[in-house]
Amino acid sequence: MKVVVDGIPLDLPAGTSGIDAVFAAGRDVPYFCAHSYLSPVGACRMCLVESGSPRKGKDGNFELDESGQPKIFWFPKPMAACTMQATDGMHIRTAKTSDVVAKAQAGMMEFTLLNHPLDCPTCDKGGACELQDRAFEYGYGASRFGFDRRHADKHYPLSDFVILDQERCIHCKRCVRYFEEVPGQEVLDFIERGGHTFIDTEEGGLPTGFQGNITDICPVGALLDNVARFRGRNWEYDHTPTTCTLCPVGCSITADARNGRLERVVARENREVNEVWICDAGRFGHVFASEDRLTVPLVRVDGELRPSDWDGAILAIRRGLTGMNPADLALYLNADSTLEEGAALETLAGLTDTPSVDHWPRYAANVETTATLTDVATADAVIVLGADLGEEAPVLELRVLEMLRGGILPPEFPHGTAIADLRLVERPTRHPERLAVIGGESRLSAHAGMRVSANGHNALARLMRPDTDDLRAAAKLLAEVKKPVLILGADVLNTVTREFTAQLADLVTRTGAKVLPISAGPNSKGLAHLNLVPRAGGLGYDRLEEARAAFISRLDPATHGLPGRARGFTIVHDTHLTATARLADVVLPAVTNYEKRGTTVNLEGRLLPLRQAALSAGEGADLIRTLTALAEALGVRTRIRGLKSAQALLADRLGVDLTDLPESGVIRPLGVTFTAPALPHTPQLWKERMHANPERRGSRVPDRADRIATWQLTGQDGALPVGGDD
Amino acid sequence: MTYFADKQLLVTDIFSRYPATPQGRRSALMPLLREVQDALGYVSEAHMAEIARLCGTTATEVRSVMSFYSTYHTLPTGRYHLQVCSTLMCALAGSDELWDHLVSVLDVQPGEVTADGRFSVQKVECLGSCGTAPVVQLNDEGYYEQVTRTKCDRLLAAMRADAPPPPDNPVPVTVREDGRQMTAKGERVGASIHDLAPLAGGEA
Repeated sequence: MKVVVDGIPLDLPAGTSGIDAVFAAGRDVPYFCAHSYLSPVGACRMCLVESGSPRKGKDGNFELDESGQPKIFWFPKPMAACTMQATDGMHIRTAKTSDVVAKAQAGMMEFTLLNHPLDCPTCDKGGACELQDRAFEYGYGASRFGFDRRHADKHYPLSDFVILDQERCIHCKRCVRYFEEVPGQEVLDFIERGGHTFIDTEEGGLPTGFQGNITDICPVGALLDNVARFRGRNWEYDHTPTTCTLCPVGCSITADARNGRLERVVARENREVNEVWICDAGRFGHVFASEDRLTVPLVRVDGELRPSDWDGAILAIRRGLTGMNPADLALYLNADSTLEEGAALETLAGLTDTPSVDHWPRYAANVETTATLTDVATADAVIVLGADLGEEAPVLELRVLEMLRGGILPPEFPHGTAIADLRLVERPTRHPERLAVIGGESRLSAHAGMRVSANGHNALARLMRPDTDDLRAAAKLLAEVKKPVLILGADVLNTVTREFTAQLADLVTRTGAKVLPISAGPNSKGLAHLNLVPRAGGLGYDRLEEARAAFISRLDPATHGLPGRARGFTIVHDTHLTATARLADVVLPAVTNYEKRGTTVNLEGRLLPLRQAALSAGEGADLIRTLTALAEALGVRTRIRGLKSAQALLADRLGVDLTDLPESGVIRPLGVTFTAPALPHTPQLWKERMHANPERRGSRVPDRADRIATWQLTGQDGALPVGGDD
Repeated sequence: MTYFADKQLLVTDIFSRYPATPQGRRSALMPLLREVQDALGYVSEAHMAEIARLCGTTATEVRSVMSFYSTYHTLPTGRYHLQVCSTLMCALAGSDELWDHLVSVLDVQPGEVTADGRFSVQKVECLGSCGTAPVVQLNDEGYYEQVTRTKCDRLLAAMRADAPPPPDNPVPVTVREDGRQMTAKGERVGASIHDLAPLAGGEA
C-alpha cells in the first residue's frame, strides 16, 4: 500500500492508521487519546492532518490531473489521523507542510486548554505531562480565553493508590477505555455531559490488581500515583530500566530514584512480556526498598545485635564457626536472587562440600514450560488449572484477558508499536467460552465461560475424566481448538506426582497444548538449572533448625512460623532487620533487586536483565560480594568474585551469554533442572513490608468512611438530603 | 429496597425488546431507568446498582448514562419541578433573568426542594422551542412558553394553590408499540401509521 506523507512516499501494510503513516514517515503529530494498546476513538482531536485520495472515474480508471498523475481529492477539513485508515494512494499533510493543519492544531490546543486549570507550577505531572509538552510545541503560546476556568474536585482519592484531579482532566477517555478493555472492569466513566463532564466511579473505589496503570497512561496530571505523588519531578529522577522481580512474570519497569531513594516505579514496554501494563504490587509495593533499610552489618555481642563493619562481621563469622567444618554451614537463598548470585552460591557450596543448599520458594518438581506469554495472548483456548493468577502472576491474567478479546497484538513499526491499531475496538466482544478455570475461586474465574471448583491435585485428573458439564465442555474445547494453552498454578505444582506427569504428557501429545507452569518464585525457573537443592544427606530449607550453622540470604522463615535459626551459628543476609535477622548471630546488609546487576528468568524461561538503580544501600552488598566475604571467613577462595566471573561461569555451564541480553529478554534452553522434595508453597504477592504506611510518608488518604464523615454536616441524621439536582 | 424484585413480568417485557446477548442486555438500561424515574421521581444509588445488576454492567456505567440526560434525577424533586432552558435562544430572550427571579422568589437552588415540598428548579439544555423563548418545562408535562416575569409569578401563584394551568405545549410524547404518540397524561398526539390509508397504485 503506497501512502505519501508530506511528499515522502511510503510502502505500508494495509490497515495502517493515518497516525502510524505519519510516524512511519518520520514526521510528528500530537495526540492525547490514542494509545497503542487501547482502541482509537478520536476524542482529543489533536492528531489532525489533511488527507486526500485519488478517485476513480466512471470508466473505472483514476481521474488524472494536468500532468497525467492521479488527481488527489482532498477532504474539505482536517481529519483525526488516529481513527482514519490510510488507504492506497492516500496523501497526508502534517503541520510541517500544511498551514491549515498547524492552525487547526493550535486552535485545538487552545480549546483543550480552555478549561484546564494550568496547574503546571504545582502539578506533579510537570516534566512528564504530554499536554504541557504539546502545548509548548503546537500551541499558539497565548490564549484568548481570559475568564475563570471551570472548577471540579481536586485531589479526589479514587483509591488509596490513585488520586484524581477532576479539573485537570481533558477527557481523552484513556482511563475509561483501559478499565473497560484491559482488565475488563468498567469502574470509571464520564459523568454528566458537555462542559460539566468529569471522571468518577460509582463503585466506591478502584478494583485492586491493575489500577495503577491509569496513572501511566493519563496524558495530564489528572490521575496521579499516590505513593510517588509530590516526591520528585520527572527530571530529578534517575531512571533505571530494569525488571520487576516480585513475581515470576518479570515485567519491564523503570525504577525512578531520587536522592538515593526509590520513589516511583513505572511500566516500560516489553511487547513479549507485559506489553505496557504492570500490576499494583509492582508499581506501588516498592516502598520497602527505601524504608528501614539495614545499612551496616550487625554482630551479636552479649546477646544483643550491635552495629559493626564488614571486617567485624567476617571476624565474628570466623569466630562463630570455630570448631565447625565448612561443610556444616548450610546455605539458603531466596528464589528471587539472580542467576549470577545462584552460580556464586553453587560454587561456594562446591568448595565447602556442604550438602545443605536450597532456594525458596520452589516446587518439588519442575514441569517443562512450552508456552510463552504471547502464546497465551494469541491462544484460541486457555485452561487454567489450580492457579490464583492474582497472587502468582498478575500480568499473566491480563494476557489471558487479551486472549478473551481476540488476541489482537498491535503491529510493530520501525517507530515502535502501532500508535492506533484500528482492529482494537471499544467494548470489545469477549469470548468467555475460550477460557476454563479449574480450581479455587479467583478473580479470573469471573471471566471464564467454564468454572469448576477442584482441589489442585486432582484438577488434571478431573479434566481427563470429565464428570460435570463444565468439565466436559473444557475437555471438548481442548480437543477441538488448534492452539490451546494449559496454565498450571501452585495448587497443581505443589503436588506433582509421577502419575500427573504421565497424564500431562499424554494430554499434550493428544491435544498439542502448550504448557505454562507458574514458577514458585520470581527466578525459580532460572535457579532450578543450578544445583541449589539439598544434595545427599543435605538439609532442605524446611530443616533449617537441624543445621549446625546456616547462612540465610533474604529469606524470613521466622515470620512464616518456621524456626528462624540453625542449631548453632546463624548468619542472615537481608535488606531489613526481619524477624529471622533478629534471631541471627551475624546480620549482613543486602541490596534489593532494584539495585542489582544480573539476570533473572521469568516463567516462560525468558532471560531478563536486572540493572542497578541509584539507591542508597549503605554498606549493603549483593549475594556475590557477600559470599566472597563469607568465603574469606571460611578460609576458602571462591572462583566467583563478581558479576563478570559469574557470567563467565554461567556461559560455560548453561551455554548462554548473559553479558549482552536484549532489552526485551530472550528465551534460551538452559539444560537440565535439579529437583528435591519441598514443602508446599502458598504464593502471596503482597508482603507486609510492601504496604506504604501513608502516615509516615505524609500523604495519608482518607478511606471512604473517613471521607463520608468529613462531608456529613453536623445536626443531620444522615437521612437522604432533600432536593433536586442540576 | 429493590424496585424490580416484584416486577418480573415488567423486567421480562423490557428485556424481550432487545437481543439476548450481553450487549442487548445492556441496551435495556434506559427503559429500566425510565421505569424507576417515573415511579419514584428519581433514581437513587441503590437503584442504579440494582439496574446495573440486571443489565450485567456496573453502577458507574449506569450513572454515566443517566447523568448524560437531564431528565433523570439522582435526588428527589419537588411536586413542581421547573426546568428552565438556558441555551442560546432562551438566554437571548432573558432566561438568565428568569432563572434569577425564579430562584430568588422560591428561595431554592438546584438540588434543593422548597420547605413545602412543592418546588425544585433545574437549568437544562435546549428544549427545542426557540421560537417561543424563554421556555420553562413543568415536570414531564409540557412547556410554558414566552415566560415573562409576570407570567412566571402568575404560574407560581397557581402552583402554590396546586392548580397549575395546563402547559402551553404538552411534551414529551411517547411512541407506543403501535406507533401511536401519547403525551405523558395519555392523550393522543398526532397521527399513527395505522391511521394512514394505503397508497394505491405505483411502486413504493
